[in-house]
Amino acid sequence: MYSISNSGPARSPWIVRLVVVPAFLWSFAAQAEKLPQNLQIHGFASQGWLKSSENNVFGKSASDSGSFDFRELGLNASMRPLTNLQFSAQMLSRTAGEGSPGNIRLDYGFIDYTFLSGETSQLGIRLGRMKNPLGFYNDTRDVPFTRPSILLPQSIYFDRTRKLAIAADGAHLYGEHRSSMGVISFQLGAARPLVRGAETEVAFLGHDFPGHFTPKVSYIGRVIYELDEGKLRFALSGSQLNLGYNPGAADIIQAATIRFTPLIFSAQYNAERWSLTAEYARRHLEYKNFGVAPLNLDFTGESYYLQGAYRITPEWEAMVRYDVLHIDSDDRDGKKWASANGRPAHNRFAKDITVGLRWNITPSFMLRAEYHRVNGTAWLSTLDNSNPADRSQHWDLFSILGSYRF
Amino acid sequence: MLYAISMARATDQYEIITHTGVNEKTLSKGSLRAIFGMRLHTWPDGTAIRVFVMPDDAPLHTAFSKEKLNVFPYQLRSAWDRLVFSGTGQAPYTVASPEEMLARVASTPGAIGYLNKSMMDGRVNVLHIK
Repeated sequence: MYSISNSGPARSPWIVRLVVVPAFLWSFAAQAEKLPQNLQIHGFASQGWLKSSENNVFGKSASDSGSFDFRELGLNASMRPLTNLQFSAQMLSRTAGEGSPGNIRLDYGFIDYTFLSGETSQLGIRLGRMKNPLGFYNDTRDVPFTRPSILLPQSIYFDRTRKLAIAADGAHLYGEHRSSMGVISFQLGAARPLVRGAETEVAFLGHDFPGHFTPKVSYIGRVIYELDEGKLRFALSGSQLNLGYNPGAADIIQAATIRFTPLIFSAQYNAERWSLTAEYARRHLEYKNFGVAPLNLDFTGESYYLQGAYRITPEWEAMVRYDVLHIDSDDRDGKKWASANGRPAHNRFAKDITVGLRWNITPSFMLRAEYHRVNGTAWLSTLDNSNPADRSQHWDLFSILGSYRF
Repeated sequence: MLYAISMARATDQYEIITHTGVNEKTLSKGSLRAIFGMRLHTWPDGTAIRVFVMPDDAPLHTAFSKEKLNVFPYQLRSAWDRLVFSGTGQAPYTVASPEEMLARVASTPGAIGYLNKSMMDGRVNVLHIK
């Protein structure tokens, strides 16, 4: 149930992508010093390996040799032709099991105009495709250096509706005010969510129906309050995502709508050696007018995690996290759902204990390793785990990842 | 131990420097933070601000971040990464050595950086924090 990327031309062999794209990144890095002063080029390349006891994550991780099917490559450019005008764009290729085959796509691309800028405040507008400002990590979720771990806490940053969550085409208003009381900043947007291929149908309806989803105007917003130079950070983000369903020929479903309303509370404390982060999310999901009783759903999911990171030295960082997902907060253990659907209750929750280690070999190259002990299968990909009966409730996952950036 | 000594040396003897074309002689702490946080882009006269920093692990960068900005270097790096990889801002320019810091700030209109006092000459201005 990860992103089924846009049906593009035939996939190039992974080895080509693995070798050629980093070579491009490398040559850009070498050229970077010669660029005009206001043009910046940055990028990253990462390769991961995953091995699980049962259940597949990003490819056949449960196989004897594990899965190397996890790669992230990005290249971005930004330019400030005027002090109050910036152009930014990023191309991204993400390979992550069956759901993300690594197609190169526009991750974001927009114009940013600051129409009000003073010593203590600013106000501006962005037009184009922007990353959705949700929680602390969504805006840069595919960049390993910005994540606290190899896998983001899956309770909140799950990949099931990845493409819908990651970016949208529209307009954002943003602003910031700085004072001795702290820095308050916000982003507020109206946008068309990215609805492509079967991902949305598989995620919301269970499988690919004859009709298709259409994006409707949706809203997103985030307010961040930073105290004491960012030692304390609080964020409140929310979105109202609206989708319409257009039935196809001989479709059992009628013209219908889905409204997805996630709300995320985030908090972080940053000391010199350690950081403590917690996020709590409630996701209201409402299906209307589908004409088929089992699809007219209305429920609220609940997620939270608590995460600690400790910087042993500037080169070594350790992390530990407890991450919980309930698909339906009125049925936390999934028992009601299980008796109604005849499938195991563990599909409706996941409790993940993670420990990890990060080694910054140089400022631009890092290695990571982490171990997950998971109870529940709620955030597993349907595409990587095509037979629901094969899912195991208690499972382990080990992963290592190397990442380069410039 | 060596690290502590070089930290102490960096702490005692550095200044915030600007290009000679920058009119500002003093700046509030809040504005300095906003500039190095890559959130304030223009000097009051409209000139674009160009920010120069040493690598994250340079003792002078650590001293400057903690003493002048009251942040840890990893916080600055996270903030810059969030801007760069979401497209909502740009990163500062990283120089490899104090010599390069002096040369780049001296030759770039609107530039701001920091430098050991022993390295300084008339090619850059000193900026004081209010």
